[in-house]
Amino acid sequence: MTATEQHPRHRLDELLQNPVRFSIVAALDRAGTLGFKEVRDAVEVTDSALSKQVSSLESAGYVAVGKSFAGKMPRTSLTLTRQGRAAWKAHLATLREIAGEPGR
Amino acid sequence: MDTTPTITATEARLLLDRADRLSRSAHDATRWPYITFILALGVATSMGTFAMALTTGDGFGLAYFATLAVMFSLIIFFMLSIQGRSAFSHSRRWTGYIASWFVTYAAAISVVIWAHGEVVPAAITSGLILVVAFVSAAREARA
Repeated sequence: MTATEQHPRHRLDELLQNPVRFSIVAALDRAGTLGFKEVRDAVEVTDSALSKQVSSLESAGYVAVGKSFAGKMPRTSLTLTRQGRAAWKAHLATLREIAGEPGR
Repeated sequence: MDTTPTITATEARLLLDRADRLSRSAHDATRWPYITFILALGVATSMGTFAMALTTGDGFGLAYFATLAVMFSLIIFFMLSIQGRSAFSHSRRWTGYIASWFVTYAAAISVVIWAHGEVVPAAITSGLILVVAFVSAAREARA
């Protein structure tokens, strides 16, 4: 094993290194389920930027997208899946390791 | 060639702080109506079912209508306060809280119907409503 392979940064989740995707999953961490607008307001991005990144997270199985209607208005909800939560926890654990605070 | 971007300890710490801040603010901004509702519903139905189980005549009527009035007021307040942030109301976690409350409420109503006037079963079932509501609210507040 080389010195490069041993560095914890290699264990960081590639998908979660994107700042917007990182923020989306962070927003969903405690809440579990949030509406599209709630996530948009928390992450402070445009609808299209959020939509694009949510598609990536959905394809990876990290986020489940729910569609419903309130009257004639479509409502989209985002839920962090079990797989997404596990990936997020592992990502945070690696960041803590890099930060030198494994027990935080 | 190593293409993994490097990340320093300071950057990692900043990311951790950002994640924590974002997670807390997103949760806090959307959850208070849910926590308030489950707590108020638990207190109202617990007291209401206990009063109904132990009273007769006008006292029973008053307890019955007061409980219903408070329940409907709470539901209306809840529906209004979650407008635009109702996604959580369709989640498994919220369904679990409401289902738990309903089971204890149904048990308390069963006591009102089939064991009217018996203090111990009424206290147990009405107390359970309160416990379930407090546990649900606390769990959501600490999520």
